Parts: sequence; C-alpha cells; structure tokens
Amino acid sequence: MLRLDADKPVSFCDGFNRRDFFHIGALSGLGLSLVDLYSLKALGSVDARKDPMNCIFLFLVGGPSQLDTWDMKPDAPAEIRGPFKPIPTNVDGIRISEIFPRMARHADKFSLVRSLYHDAAAVHDTGHQMMQTGRLFQAGMEHPHAGCVINKLRGPRGALPAHVLIPRPIGKTGGNMPHGQDAGYLGRALDPFVLNSDPSLPDFKVRDLLPPDYISANRLNRRRNLREIVDGVVGNFENSEDARLLDSSFHQAYTLISSDRAREAFDITLEDDAARDRYGRNKFGQSCLLARRLVERGVRFVTVNMFETVFNEITWDIHGSAPFSPISCYSDLVGPMFDNGFSSLVEDLKDRGMLENTLIVAMGEFGRTPKINPAGGRDHWPGCWTTVFAGGGIQGGRVVGESDEIGALPKDRPVTPAEVVATVYHLLGVDLETELDGPGGRPVPIVDYNVEPIHELI
Amino acid sequence: MAKRSPVPLLFVLALAAVEAAPDSPSFRNDVLPVLSKAGCNSGPCHGALAGKNGFRLSLRGYDPVTDYFSLTREALGRRLVKMAPARSLILLKPTLTLPHGGGKRFDVDSPEYRVIADWIAAGAPAPKPGDPVIENIEVDPDKIVLHTPGDTVRISVRARFSDGSVRDVTRQTKFSSTNEGVVEVGDRGLVTAKGHGEGAVSVWYSSKVAFSRVTVPHERQLGPEVFGQAPRNNWVDDLVLAKLSELRIPPSPLCDDNTFIRRVYLDTLGVLPSRQDLSRFLGHTRGDRRARLIDSVLDRPEYVDYWAYKWSDLLLVSSRKLEKAAMWSYYDWIRHGVAENRPWDRFIEELVTATGSNLDNGAVNYWLIHQQPQEITENLSQAFLGISLTCARCHNHPLEKWTQDQYYGMANLVSRVRLKNGQAAGEVTQVPRPVGEVSHPRLGRPMPPQPLDAEALSLDDPADRRRHLARWLVGSEHFARSLVNRVWAHFFGRGVVDPEDDLRATNPASNEALLSALTRDFMDNGHDVKRLIRTILNSATYQLSSTGVPANRNDEEYFSHHRSRRLPAEVVLDAMSQVTEVPEEFEGYPLGTRALQLPETQVESYFLDSFGRPPRLTSGADERKGDANVAQVLHLINGGTLNRKLRAEGGAVDRLLELELPAPELVERVYESALSRRPSRPEVARLVSALDLEQASREGVEDLFWAVLTSKEFLFTH
Repeated sequence: MLRLDADKPVSFCDGFNRRDFFHIGALSGLGLSLVDLYSLKALGSVDARKDPMNCIFLFLVGGPSQLDTWDMKPDAPAEIRGPFKPIPTNVDGIRISEIFPRMARHADKFSLVRSLYHDAAAVHDTGHQMMQTGRLFQAGMEHPHAGCVINKLRGPRGALPAHVLIPRPIGKTGGNMPHGQDAGYLGRALDPFVLNSDPSLPDFKVRDLLPPDYISANRLNRRRNLREIVDGVVGNFENSEDARLLDSSFHQAYTLISSDRAREAFDITLEDDAARDRYGRNKFGQSCLLARRLVERGVRFVTVNMFETVFNEITWDIHGSAPFSPISCYSDLVGPMFDNGFSSLVEDLKDRGMLENTLIVAMGEFGRTPKINPAGGRDHWPGCWTTVFAGGGIQGGRVVGESDEIGALPKDRPVTPAEVVATVYHLLGVDLETELDGPGGRPVPIVDYNVEPIHELI
Repeated sequence: MAKRSPVPLLFVLALAAVEAAPDSPSFRNDVLPVLSKAGCNSGPCHGALAGKNGFRLSLRGYDPVTDYFSLTREALGRRLVKMAPARSLILLKPTLTLPHGGGKRFDVDSPEYRVIADWIAAGAPAPKPGDPVIENIEVDPDKIVLHTPGDTVRISVRARFSDGSVRDVTRQTKFSSTNEGVVEVGDRGLVTAKGHGEGAVSVWYSSKVAFSRVTVPHERQLGPEVFGQAPRNNWVDDLVLAKLSELRIPPSPLCDDNTFIRRVYLDTLGVLPSRQDLSRFLGHTRGDRRARLIDSVLDRPEYVDYWAYKWSDLLLVSSRKLEKAAMWSYYDWIRHGVAENRPWDRFIEELVTATGSNLDNGAVNYWLIHQQPQEITENLSQAFLGISLTCARCHNHPLEKWTQDQYYGMANLVSRVRLKNGQAAGEVTQVPRPVGEVSHPRLGRPMPPQPLDAEALSLDDPADRRRHLARWLVGSEHFARSLVNRVWAHFFGRGVVDPEDDLRATNPASNEALLSALTRDFMDNGHDVKRLIRTILNSATYQLSSTGVPANRNDEEYFSHHRSRRLPAEVVLDAMSQVTEVPEEFEGYPLGTRALQLPETQVESYFLDSFGRPPRLTSGADERKGDANVAQVLHLINGGTLNRKLRAEGGAVDRLLELELPAPELVERVYESALSRRPSRPEVARLVSALDLEQASREGVEDLFWAVLTSKEFLFTH
C-alpha cells in the first residue's frame, strides 16, 4: 500500500492524530486528493527549522565507571568510592572527578544524566545497540543507528555524506552481537561513511579519495561514461537490492571525489598545530577535531568511537586484570584523553558559534560495579550510569536523575537508553511518531511508543 | 548478591507433612508455565541474573527448585500466604492490587490467578523429583492455508507428559510469528493472515518449541501450463516447483548458455571460463552439453582450490593462533580431503577425534584453535549443526530449547584432551587423557557426557568420549542438513533455511520438503559433497535466468529465479587478475598464487578486506560480507589494485594493443574474456564512439577494461 510515510513521514502540528492519516485509503475517506497528499508530504515529519542541527556521538567504548567520573560518592566506603576525588566545577553543586580538570570549567555548557540504566544482559554489545539505536536487537531485527535514521529522513547536505563514523566501527567486544552502528533494516545504502583510518597518524588521509596522478579528470569522466554504457544493458539487475547498493555506492563515491569541499573537510592537516595539540595528539583527540571539521562543512551526524575493542587495549573497561584495563588508566591515559578531546570540542564549537546547533552526547554502554573487585577493578554494571549532553539546545549546568548512595541504582528519575535516542531525534527536529519501513514493509516507529525525550535537559 | 542459605531442616519436615492432594496444581507443570507466559521470569524482569527489586527467578523457569525456594522462603515468606492465598505478594503484585514495576500481568480470578491461588491453597507443594516432566508438545493444526489477508484461524497446543497424560496448554503457551508481514498471532493462539507468502507461528510451552506453518498464496491465477511446462531436470525441480505452485509464484525460464557457463565456473571454481572453454562448450551439440560441462568442471583443479578455501573459512585456518607450519598442516589436511572428495561424515569425524602431532595430523589444529571445552562445544554446534549454544553457557537458552544442563553435558564430551608442546617449531601433540571433567557452574558438579538430545555416557565410563561425540555428530540428520543447507546457500545466495547457519527449530526452512529430500539423498549416498553439488548444478532450478518475470520479482526465498549477487572478494580479485593477465602479488607467496589458493586470511590485502573477506575469527557465515560500500568503490576508481593491473606491462592490455585489432573487435575480446559473451551491436557502437578508438591508445584500452571490470555484469554472478 502506498504510504504517507514512505520517504518523509508527516507530522501535524494542529492536533490531528497522525495515525488517523496513515494510509491513502484513510486520506481519500477524508476527501484529500493526491495533490493534497503531496503538499502534506512537503511538510515532512522533520522540522525544517531544525535542519541546521547536527549531532556528534562520542562513544566511550568499554563503559566508564560512573563512580570514578561524573557521579562520585566521596562519602561511601573506600571499596565503593574508589581512588579519585571530586573537584568543583564552574557550576555550584556540580562536582565531577579530578581526572577531568578541563571539563570542570565547562559545566555551564553540559548537563549530566546520572540515572541511565538498562535491563539487558551485562555485555558491551547490548548497550552499544541500545544507546545508538534506542533498542535491543531481538528476533533477528537489527535497528538503525540514530545517524542512519537522520540520513534517511534528511539526506546529505551537498557532497559530504550525512553520517560519518570515525575512525573505525566497534569490533569484537565479547558478545558476538551487532553493535548498532549501521543502518540495520534500513539497508546498507544508509550505512555511515566509515573513515577506516586513524586521523592522528602523520600520513593520515581518506584512502582512495583522490585519483592517482595518471588519471586525469578527463579520463575519470570517460571511464564513468564507458561504465554507464556497459551497465546500460543489464536492466535485469536493477531490481536486485545488491545492485542498487552498488549503484548508490558509485554515486556517493563520485560525489565525494568531485567535491573540493569534501576533500578539504577530511584534510586535518589544514588545522593549525596549536589546535591539534589542544585536542590531544591521539586517535580520540584527532577524531574529535575531525568531527568538528566535518560538522562545520555540512556533515549532519558524526559518530566517534573512542576505542574499537576492549581487549588488549587500555580502555574504559577496567576489570583490573589482563586483557582488560586497570582503574589507574583513568587518571593516566583514558581520562586525560577524554578531557582534552571533549573540552576542546565544546570550546571550539562555542567559539565558532556552532554549539547551539551541535548536540554532543558522550556515552558509554553501561556503568561499573559499585564495589571494587578483588583485582582492583570494576566489572560491568548496567544498573546505573551517567551520560553527558552538551550543545544542540541542551541547557547546561543541570543534573538529571540521582543514583543511590553507592551509585548502584537510580534513586529517582530512571532514564533508559531509548530516552537518550529520543532526545537526539527531538533536538534534531524529528517527530518521535515517525515510522520507518521495517522488514517486510512493516512500519517501525523510530522509538517505541510513549518514549519521551529527557525534557529536563531542554 | 545475597548468599543462599541452606534450607532449614524444619522446612524440609514441614514439606514432607504437606502431601499435596493428587489433583492440586503442580509447581513445575502449572505454576511455572503461568509465570513464564506472563513474562515474570523473562530476561528484562525477574529472570534477569540479578533479579528485579530483590525478587529473582530463574530465566524462563529452568531451575524450579531454586524458584520454589525464592517464592516460599525469601521476603519473610510474604510472597506466599498459605492461610490466605489472596494476600500473597505473588498474586497481589501481578494483578496490580499492589504497585508493581512490571505493571498488570493478569486479572484477579483469571485462570492464571486461579492456578497460583489453588496451588497456594493446596499448601504450595514443592517440585518433586518424581513430577511428570514434559515430553513433547503438538500444535493443531500444524499446517494452515489462509486465502485472504484478514482471515483467521485458532490454533491449540497440547502437551504430553512422562506419565502419559496429555493436556491442553494453549492458554499457557507463548506464541510468536516468524514473519509478521504474512501472519500475526495473538496471545491465545488466534492467527491472522496479514499478507501473501509464507510464515510460521512458533509456540513455546515449558522448554518445548514447535511451530505451525502458515501459507497465504498469492491471489493471482496461473494457468496449469505455468508449472506443467516449467523446465524440470531432476527431483530438486519437482520439489521447488511444488512449493512455487502452492504459493502461485511462477518460475523464470532457463538462462542462456553463455550465462550458464559463466555462472557454473564462478560458483564452482571461482574462475571465469577462458575464451577456449567458452567456444568448446558452445561447439558441443545441445542436448546434454550442460551436464557434460558440469562433469568436466567438477574434475578441474580449481574445484579443489575453491572448496578447500571454503572449508578453511568454516574451520578457521589462520596463522593468528597457529604457527605457520601448523597452519599449513591444517590447510593441507583440508585440501587433501577435498581433493579425494572424502565423505563429509568421515572428514568431520577425523577432525573431532584427531590425536597426535598437529604437524603430522593437520586436523589436530582444530583443537589448538579452540582450547576450552566450552569453545569447542560452541564451535562444533555452530559449524556443523547450525545451532548456537552460547547462551546456554550461563543459563538455559532464552530462545531455544537448549538447557544449561545439556550444554555442560556436551562440554563434558570434550573435556579429556591434553596438548603438549612437541619437538619441532609450532608442533603440539594432542593426547587423550583418562580424567578431566567440566563442572556445571550452577550445580557445581560435572554432567554425564551427553550429546544434544542423545544417549549419555556415565561419568565413570572409560570409553573415549570424543569418539562417542563424533559418532553421534556425524550420524545425526541435523549434521547432514546443516552441510546441505550451506552448500545450497553457496549456489543460490540463500539457504533453504536462512541465515544459512541458523538451523534452530524456530527458524523454519522456506521449503522443508526440499531440504529434507536433499538431506536424505546426501545421507543415503555416503555424505558425498561433490555428488550433492552435481545434483544442484544439474537442476533446472540452478539454471534459471536471473531476470525475474513480473510475478516472481519479489520472491527472495523460494528459488523462482536466480538471485544475482556480488561475487565474493577473492573471486572478484582473481577474475580481475585473470582478465588483465596480471597476477596479484601476495607477500610470502609465489607470484601467480590466486587469492583462492591462499591457505589463510592473515595475508595482507586491502582489496580483499574491503570486499569483505572473512577474518576467520568465528565460524559464523555472516563473517563474510557481500555488500558493496563506498570504500570498495573508491578503491576501484582510485585505488592501486585494479589500476596497477591495467597499467602493468605484459598483461592483456599490451597483448591486445600488439594485435592492432579494429576497435569493434577489441571490444569483443574484452567482453568475451570478462563477461563470457559477445557484445551486442549497439553496445559495440556506443562504446567505440565513446572511446573514440580509431587508433587504439593504451589509455583508451585501459579505460575500456576498467569500465567492463567495474560493471555490475562483471562484479555480479547472475
């Protein structure tokens, strides 16, 4: 059946229930013609006034400990409170960990939700899925990353992709499940553009973005033209999903290659040294800087993975024993890395007048056990953790939700991952009642019904 | 987590005193199913590992004894009030008489309520070892045909218990649809057709799963000739056409001969037919030339390359965990097996029972890659049975029938293995040892070694446990079914069960008769993989055109037309080398080694990685990625791999230039070598004019090759 919401679903601001308008049949029953339909469609279920809004996800892979970062319990027993001390911030009453001295100067620009929790298995993968798609994957249904939904509903601005993932997708984290970083049931054509290289390396560039010198612009064009002739006769491929994906990949590739703006956007060497130092000369720092460049030049959504795995690498995943990380890495390495990347991003966006239209969400997939384990670390704990929001219409200087005295469970205002994703959609101007074409053409709401944005942040 | 205190003696005595009335509800068979159906013991609720709000149940009731304890003894006994059942928390909460985070689960005085209330009133008898246990469930009807979306039918479920009793358990059964586009099912088993096609309703009661198939044929009318005159080469076609006819989906016609030879070469050998192969084939008289071609293809050496590669994906041949010498020994063992077409059951039996030095017996390396009994258990089930057991490592499988007890029964079959370092570099010797058990983490003791749903060995049985496992494994129908489905998926881009390695009971085949017959045929003929492939290649189903007719274009799962799809990474790269006559260089391998001749995947190649070569970390079929993406395409346009081949000296570009062919003939040559067909006249004309090829320039010829080698027709099998 032809559906109103096939491409750009419709929102009604006048109190009509959108579900009443669902099918063409219902529309004609109300005496609406196709012409009316199209004019409705032109409104879009995305709010045009919010078109300039962007979003940057900083995914803190491994799962930061709430008790050692943004939800400290200095009065708890030693085995709970851990080794770090709280420090004041520039907002009265908000204290965060001493491992984030720069961040403490920006508490007026960010807000904390201290009562995130989820109910699924305490493995990394489930949290990855829920925090980025709003849902746990069940019954073979893979939901799209929020950035892919934005790509679907808004499309790219110009030559740059709508959604870029840097530096690489999350790899194995133990659960053998998808990580919610692709387009899922929306189809691979809406997958993010993946950088697949490390922007902190001296020879960093986007692989194969430029033609080799022996292929001139003329030849590039001739090849493209010849290829279209060869492809022209194979009409029988056109109805295959795989073929459409190849076509759209060629289209995107040529758009990227032929755009100076795109090339320039990815060229991090155009940033001056002082800026690069400020962000931190490491993979995460330079990824944050690149995220800013990309958003500045038209990318709508950037996902930065702080790490790609939790094995044999120093990460937030502080079990305390090999192949995982010790708690001390928060002050030695991981904490400063985040502090510099995040703070520079906030400062930079603020200076450029872009913080208002760029939402930053810094999040992990779960928290950590309140009690320090025998190895001196903390294990997985989805019962309660903290997520950081800044920019994009967020009111800074707030704390939403509170955990109990040991940071084990939300004491009030429990918040689910779905509400985080709903907040993102809401701030980016997407009607939460929007439905997408799911598997078999069945409509799937972008967030479950009745999930609301976190209003206290806005 | 609170420590579980031992059950007080007094309590045991009290229990003994309350001998339940014979017809009072049973905790195991009445109360737990109510809690399961209401979702109380599901993962997000009290079935979570940590429970919920201080009340913990075992996930979906796998541990009745502990559940009974939690209900009767924790929370100061307030969960059950025997003198006044209605004041029990277990009734007050789910009816929302008291606030309940999980909301309302059932009404006061509903049948669910009555079961629990009656059980409490009867003194809350405990689960006993002698309780009847469920043996199986039956769905009625198990096959449903509905004609119009909106039509409904009600299904019922009966359970049979070990004491011979049979009960209607429809009300306690959980229902779900496998394909909500076709069929929906309500809480009480009311099935509603939603669209055309096929789906299944899976039903779940206690630990048992069954399903009822629902068919909603398309409404179009097809004449009898559509199926009467459809091409049929063997019994495979009869079974495919029977299903298509049931659903009223017409098949496509056969593909042409050029398409056929290209398809059969790429799918079976991973190489393109040469111009000579092509002309020899087309020179044969019609009649049986396709069958003769298939016979000759199956005898070619490239067959061994491709299928050794394929099974090396499955068996995870890689120098990531193995020393080079060990990796080679493992690969050579596989390759040898393919070359002599070793029966699949013998092949895997050798793997599962392998002993000795890993350098003498390559199969031993399987035991080096997976060292924990748990890893072996999970890989064996995934790779050879298409069953994922991982969940059952920590608790009963939440979506399947497998229990944690079964998991550790399996794991204990592979617990008596010891690895010793040998003399040579990379040498490890596998020696059986007479002792060694894997403990069940919840029970704290080993389970008797027992294959899934099969006979157990006693714990003190001195028999070689791996031999017991291997005999059961390779003799099981599921084992044959799993292999057959993999091979089918290789040639059709989709298994009869999809995904190809997910053969759990709740994921039905799109054509069960077909898969059963293929399985039976495979088992009856000595697990002969090559024979299976021959049967598939000879079927008209395999030889159908990839051009859909309008009425079958949307069919993705019933094999009404050939499914065109991107070639695997290694095949694309090898085909590019073949057409350009410039081999790919792989570090550490002699020049001329094709990608499909590599023993492993730890060989640097950006091209192969970006085109989705599997890393061989898990045996999951989804490790191999067949989707196009922007990075691949950028690599084709600007990257070094293809461009270097086009610019290399002494390749096909040079050779064609030397021949000084007229432009149309040049186009013909490129088409024949890359696309296995002659170009049409308009194609030649358009290409020649776009190339401006009066004088064949090197750049012009390179660009022509580039255009053909990046076209969909080249990159796809069709």
